[in-house]
Amino acid sequence: MGLIAFLVAAPLVTAVLLMLFRSDSARRVITSAAAVVIGVASVVFAVTYMAGGLTYFGLPQEITYAVSWVMTAVDIVLCAVILWFAVRYKNRIALVLGLIQTIGVVVFANMTLSEGAEHMLEQPLYLDQLSVIMVLIVGLVGSAICVYALGYMRDFQHHEPADAPDRRHFFSALMFLFLAAMFVIVLSDNLEWMFTGWEITTTCSFLMIGYTRTPEAIKNSFRQINLNMIGGIAFLAALLIIHLSGIPMSLAALIALGETIAAPLLIFPVILLSVAGLTKAAQMPFHTWLLGAMVAPTPTSALLHSSTMVKAGVFLLVKLAPLYAVFPAASAMVVTIGGITFVLCSFMAISQSNAKRVLAYSTIANLGLIAACAGVGTAEATWAAIFLIIFHTVSKSILFLCVGTVEHRIGSRNIEDMDGLFSRLPHLTRFMMLGILGMFVAPFGMLISKWATLVSFAETGNVLFLILLAFGSAATFFFWAKWIGKLSGVSQKAENVEKGVHRSEWVAIGFIALCLLGCCLGLPAISLGVVSPYLVGVFNSNPQFIGVDNMLIMVVIVAFIAIVLLTPFGRAHKRRVGVYLAGATVQSDDRTYLGSMERKMTSTKRNWYLEDVFGENVLSNVGTVVCLGVLVIAFGASIVLNPGFLAGGTFMVDREVLLVGPDLWGLLLGIVIFAICAPVIGCLLDGLDRKISAHMQGRVGPRILQPYYDMRKLLSKEQVSVNQVDEAYVTCALIFAIIAGGMFISGSNLLMTIFLVTLATLFVIIAAYSARSPYADTGADRECLQVMSYEPMLLIMSVGFFVATQSFDTASLLRLDAPIIWTNIPIFLGLLFILTIKLRKSPFDLSYSHHAHQEIVKGITTEMSGRTLAKVDIMHWCETVLFLLWVGMFFVWSDPVSIVIALAVMAVTWFLEVWIDNNFARVKWQTCLKSAWLVALVMGVVNLFLVLITPFI
Amino acid sequence: MGYSSKSPWLIHYDGSSCNGCDIEVLDSMMPLYDIERFGIINTGNPKHADIFLVTGSVNHQNINVVKEIYDQMLEPKVVVACGICACTGGVFRDCYNVIGGVDKAIPVDVYAPGCAVRPETIIDAVLKAVDILDEKAKKMKAEKGRG
Repeated sequence: MGLIAFLVAAPLVTAVLLMLFRSDSARRVITSAAAVVIGVASVVFAVTYMAGGLTYFGLPQEITYAVSWVMTAVDIVLCAVILWFAVRYKNRIALVLGLIQTIGVVVFANMTLSEGAEHMLEQPLYLDQLSVIMVLIVGLVGSAICVYALGYMRDFQHHEPADAPDRRHFFSALMFLFLAAMFVIVLSDNLEWMFTGWEITTTCSFLMIGYTRTPEAIKNSFRQINLNMIGGIAFLAALLIIHLSGIPMSLAALIALGETIAAPLLIFPVILLSVAGLTKAAQMPFHTWLLGAMVAPTPTSALLHSSTMVKAGVFLLVKLAPLYAVFPAASAMVVTIGGITFVLCSFMAISQSNAKRVLAYSTIANLGLIAACAGVGTAEATWAAIFLIIFHTVSKSILFLCVGTVEHRIGSRNIEDMDGLFSRLPHLTRFMMLGILGMFVAPFGMLISKWATLVSFAETGNVLFLILLAFGSAATFFFWAKWIGKLSGVSQKAENVEKGVHRSEWVAIGFIALCLLGCCLGLPAISLGVVSPYLVGVFNSNPQFIGVDNMLIMVVIVAFIAIVLLTPFGRAHKRRVGVYLAGATVQSDDRTYLGSMERKMTSTKRNWYLEDVFGENVLSNVGTVVCLGVLVIAFGASIVLNPGFLAGGTFMVDREVLLVGPDLWGLLLGIVIFAICAPVIGCLLDGLDRKISAHMQGRVGPRILQPYYDMRKLLSKEQVSVNQVDEAYVTCALIFAIIAGGMFISGSNLLMTIFLVTLATLFVIIAAYSARSPYADTGADRECLQVMSYEPMLLIMSVGFFVATQSFDTASLLRLDAPIIWTNIPIFLGLLFILTIKLRKSPFDLSYSHHAHQEIVKGITTEMSGRTLAKVDIMHWCETVLFLLWVGMFFVWSDPVSIVIALAVMAVTWFLEVWIDNNFARVKWQTCLKSAWLVALVMGVVNLFLVLITPFI
Repeated sequence: MGYSSKSPWLIHYDGSSCNGCDIEVLDSMMPLYDIERFGIINTGNPKHADIFLVTGSVNHQNINVVKEIYDQMLEPKVVVACGICACTGGVFRDCYNVIGGVDKAIPVDVYAPGCAVRPETIIDAVLKAVDILDEKAKKMKAEKGRG
């Protein structure tokens, strides 16, 4: 109890001190000390209460009454601040909304406070594992950001005009006030107090966004306050209805009530609270405030969008999760809005070149995912939501902080200007790459959470959302991969400009990076020790859908990637050579060469933004209109439909995931077998491919073992490289591909196999980008596009696998009575279509082709030579074998004869691919993307509707 | 026999040729001659190539390009001069802009004369080059063993 008071009071006192002592040195001391104190206090708090689980804290009712008075007073002061600014800057909407809110607060206070102390809640404060996690997030990441702001704001003030007033004390004080409000939100069971915390965060962020007081900042801050006041008013309306219905003003009481026959009373409060949560979490149609907030100094963005403001929104939704299982209208609203926001914002992120806007869109998209998970309301989905919150916080805060610092170093936040940052800001860029990897690739927590999301949606049979998730994830890959590609370029004579980065910035970034790695490495422990007890407490079930052995393998891979990325491990000391510029290089580092008539030309390359496909203008409007429609329909349904139906539970078939995969030894055995057999088989297949192709063209062709000779020759060539890192990346890719195949043949998780293959591809892409060669860059760009093209179909395939087998483990195939092809014919056809892309066969061999008539300089592998190139080849052999196994998997069941059938189908498929390869010319990337997505969409929708909706009919 | 000779990948560069030899080089990839029988691939990328196949003579504009492509190839590597112009400058040797054969720019291992050079000659020259490639690889290995 004392600790809670301390957690809330410490930031408040700090804020007051910061307003009193305004000198630079005093602020440094106060902020650092306060950050340490708050961080330590939140850790102590976590250690003290983590084991205890759900705990309520009683207060004498007189004190509760007094605190409620104070909270009401704070509400009114906040309203006054808003009204004052609305009048001063003549913003009519803010004035009207502010007045409505003021009246609401007064009316509500009049009702509750007039009842006197005896009607107050006896236990207004509580905590459970989720609150503890939130306290840790706010206390550790939030205070780290406050420390970061010290150094950042010094540079910021430096860049301002000379006569600009120094209001940095105000900024820092607001940040601490924010932390206090967050502690109130996550620890109050009393909804009235929570509302006050809610409004403090709204107003604080209004002031922080408008900090510079430029016209743009003021415009965006008003957009923020107007949209968030809609949420605030919805919250207030919910409180009024709750109070008028005679329900206690307590979050726990609401959830308990959901299980009783009085549930229909909650239809409107739940919808209104959801709207409040969605506005705060910047979901469509309210998402524009978060984009506008990017004009603010970067610590604001980091604080608002990674650890606090938006997390308050999703925190409320996750808290309400058990209720969504009861109220179908609210659940459908939250899931649909979350899903649409996820997919559209991921698309729009592709079209952005401003780093902060990419981060903003990615934030909104991920919050959409969290909201959708919460909206499902099952234990599995909540597991996913909680982990998404944790990992999004750490990864995104690193990225915001790094982008802020980079902006001050290189004077731009445009991704195009971050070319070759790997050499100019070596340490900062590595942290940034870690943050980006943390956002979207396999062994890192964010993707494990997405995996859990996929599983929980497959379990509940939500076809629409599965499709949205598949496409959104593919887009996510594209925009992160092209950004990390820009960062990873190694230039040989770049000047290191890292000197001016302040120590406070290093401390904050380093600390959060440690948190990120800690969370990834400790994921199994967090899951078993913290999240599972919470889910047992709330849902009475303890979901187990990812085997612990799989998690352990993930942990090992995370550690491995961190070592490769952050240490000099694996750096080859080979002779350095310049990039290939078609033989007339002037300066290979600047990519200058002699053009025709001896003119000096520079090769430049911009990332792909695909504005005509994923442009903001259209998608944003579509999202706003559709989501607004969803909101209106949800409210309309709540008014029109019968309350019994509206409180009658959501429709879903809950499918348990069976874990039938092997244990750790089985996995290791599989990996060893695959590592030995796959290259051999893949090599023979490659030789056969060349032989058959030659015969199709009326030639004799090379020897069957030709690929083996090629590989041996490459190994014996002189070892040179354009930089020190590319071979390390390619080695990683080879290892990941082998682990993926090993997991597949040992009978382990299919989804993990898919993710690891994608990870392997990403590492080849990074290796290609690191060369900064125009040809390799083009190849890598196209590879990214290919991954985006086939990824949805693969995810849909895994879902099809799940509905047929009740499991994601391939070992489950051997327990079936009929092969999964019976229920998955459309998905199988879709797989055949994208197999051409995955095997790099014409017409979809955009990134790299072995045909001389299609590829002049060898695309993605242009700058790889000798041993590095040999490793890429071996990786392709392994991948070929694995992809053919995916095809064969559709025809395996418990009968041993099925293995023969599967092998026959694999052989036919492979021959078909060779035939296609020899009979089609390469298509344009537009055709590749559009046709692959169309196939995935049609096949996915048809097949999944068929198998997932059938149980209802 | 080493592995270099079993997998000779080549890069083809056209100096100031009349394109007669270039057509013949492409011709040798066609089904009739099918140089892929010997594991030969036309890569177009010096970093992947073992054999540098030059047609046409060297002039003031392309001499640096020839040199650079040669430098970017990794050891062991061999150069084949295809056609009489690449060998000596041919009928163009007295032109004001022509420097001469490829050996004016880089060391040439095999000369394949002819105007235009016949596909059979090209294949013969490449197979001759392959032996030299093996020798160089052996030498490299021995040096590596010593060093």
